[in-house]
Amino acid sequence: MFGRNPTYTNPKPCKHLANYKLNHGLNGYNSIQKSFKITPHGRTAMNGDQSKIPRCNFCSGYQGRLYFCLICSSVSCCCSPDSNHALLHSQTENGHEIAVDMERAELFCCVCCDQVYDPDFDEAVMSKQIMEMPRNNNGVDVRKEKSNKRRKLISDSNNSKELFLRMGRGSKSCFPWGLRGLNNLGNTCFMNSVLQALLHAPPLRNYFLSNQHNREICRKISSDRLCLPCDFGAIFSAIFSGNQTPYSPARLLYSWWQHSANLASYEQQDAHEFFISMLDRIHEKEEQARPSNKDDGDCHCIAHKVFSGLLRSDVTCITCGFTSTTCDPCVDLSLDLGPSNGSSTVVADKSRKPSKNTGVSTLVGCLDLFTRPERLGSDQKLYCPHCRERRDSLKQMSIRRLPLVLCLHIKRFEHSPIRKMSRKIDWHLQFPFSLDMAPYLSSSIVRNRFGNRIFAFEGDGSDMSTEFELFAVVTHSGKLESGHYVTYLRLRNQWYKCDDAWITEVSEQTVRASQGYMMYYIQKMPFYKASEELNHLPISPRGDPFLSTAECC
Amino acid sequence: MSVPNDDNTSHSQLSSQFFGDLLDSIIVDVASECHRIARLGLDCNLEEGEEEIRLSAQARVRVADPSNSSEVNSKYVVDIFGQTHPAVANEIFECMNCRRSIVAGRFAPHLEKCMGKGRKARLKATRSSSAAQNRYSRGSPISTYSPYSHSTSVNQLSNGAPGVSGEEYAEGAFEDP
Repeated sequence: MFGRNPTYTNPKPCKHLANYKLNHGLNGYNSIQKSFKITPHGRTAMNGDQSKIPRCNFCSGYQGRLYFCLICSSVSCCCSPDSNHALLHSQTENGHEIAVDMERAELFCCVCCDQVYDPDFDEAVMSKQIMEMPRNNNGVDVRKEKSNKRRKLISDSNNSKELFLRMGRGSKSCFPWGLRGLNNLGNTCFMNSVLQALLHAPPLRNYFLSNQHNREICRKISSDRLCLPCDFGAIFSAIFSGNQTPYSPARLLYSWWQHSANLASYEQQDAHEFFISMLDRIHEKEEQARPSNKDDGDCHCIAHKVFSGLLRSDVTCITCGFTSTTCDPCVDLSLDLGPSNGSSTVVADKSRKPSKNTGVSTLVGCLDLFTRPERLGSDQKLYCPHCRERRDSLKQMSIRRLPLVLCLHIKRFEHSPIRKMSRKIDWHLQFPFSLDMAPYLSSSIVRNRFGNRIFAFEGDGSDMSTEFELFAVVTHSGKLESGHYVTYLRLRNQWYKCDDAWITEVSEQTVRASQGYMMYYIQKMPFYKASEELNHLPISPRGDPFLSTAECC
Repeated sequence: MSVPNDDNTSHSQLSSQFFGDLLDSIIVDVASECHRIARLGLDCNLEEGEEEIRLSAQARVRVADPSNSSEVNSKYVVDIFGQTHPAVANEIFECMNCRRSIVAGRFAPHLEKCMGKGRKARLKATRSSSAAQNRYSRGSPISTYSPYSHSTSVNQLSNGAPGVSGEEYAEGAFEDP
């Protein structure tokens, strides 16, 4: 009844549950469905007869845990291992083994004395939830079989193949392709560091190296003769030419300043701002040249095809549970280093003691913080259409669709409007080399909101991989006003430090211990490993430079 | 167990009892939630995550140890191709704006003046020209998602000049806005 879902396993039932299902099927679930009581927070309980407190059949007590027998509807309590009337019930009545924990609407096997799981039961719970929810399903969208549209990049099959072969043969260097220093033109390490990361983002690299932004054609048709993608593409050619002397990206700087007047100056600049600005400029130029058809709402420029994901924002009314959902595209995630401690999942409190600086110390912690429900302040009461007045609400972010290349930006600056100063948050942030983004997907977040029921939530069953691999880290050292950017790149399983003109080999540990500012992860797909050599890349029969990406909606 | 009507029962006893019941309920609540997460395999990334954390902690210890440090002043080291480079890049090329020959390491400050950009130049710029230029900067609907990409110029992390030469710093870093 539910779609294929890679993110959780369906646990095997105990023999008592299996027996119960055999003998009673869905009868019990369906008959108690009316007793389910849903709270606005997505929790379910059994309320039964509202006029009186449920009491245990054996002792008339109402304390401890109450269990509702699925066969005879009697209630038994369990206060302690010595006073377990639920077990007693299963022993006195033959076959009455499966009950429902009334407070949480969870299946309980009285003989095994353990919580058990059945997708059919969860479906009964979720159906009730969906029926009861104010109007719009509260973000629980049950998706039927939707044809996954596959996004394909325009392939230039023959050219790419030839290009790769040519480059492979000409190589004298034993080093991976594309390692070349970038000269600092005067306070431009912010630009050099981002360039190194972009130069080695495989989809971007392949696009420009196979001349898919055709510079000759562009020069002819471009009216103003200024094209940032052209200049950007020229850098790819220069860096992958095999030349080992450091390259001066002067033309790109000039081009960029022409287009971004507000950022054009010889002064302290921010790498992240440069990154966003570059993507904007590339997008603008491609939109100009080839306006995208808005049929699927997605932009087809290379910048967005590689970096753009979809972020979902749910705002829930605390009183009635009405949820309003919006989705917006984003090219990166900017994460706060909040005041909380490390990995804040419910399950793992094997988390370490907080560091002296008492902040999030792991990237996963930042992602948890990012997707945590946040109570909007009372000065931000939103109008709830169901309650028809302003109510307190909860906001929660999640990722509706992951990009091909995921850029995670750490907000290491702190701006205090009261004290009118900014400072840099220097503490170390642990970041993994391998990252699974599944817990941050909308399907996981929404599922968690409704008690992690076994149910097909929106976005489930998508065949897109959620596993990512780190390939570049832009680090910052020094103070807010004066510091230095350096990028670490992973090529062929070796890490390299790109410090302006100086390319050196470094150990994995150096990278782990560095102060990450922007981390670039790429989807783990069989075709793209950061460890693979460019000219060993298998080319798919259709010549697509890379594997197509499936959409979720 | 019925609630005693006896007035002698202290309030604190009753409160303790209720508190205990509430606490028990919450504990089972959390346990039940964790049980479900564990059984459904929703926490399968825990061990991987812990391994990464352990590796990072190890790495930090190794790197902090001064005897391990091979990273001296990186400006004087030899790169992987066996080359050394001066602190200020000395490649010379032609400025695309004015056609003069410029040293790479001083290209940015030159270009700033040459193009009439930069703080001082901008202050002199007329309102109309900067308004026209602002239309092209970071305004497209697809690209600005303000909650997710900071855009205030105050919140920048800055880079510095590549090291040795004091002149670069003086020119760029400590000017008054």
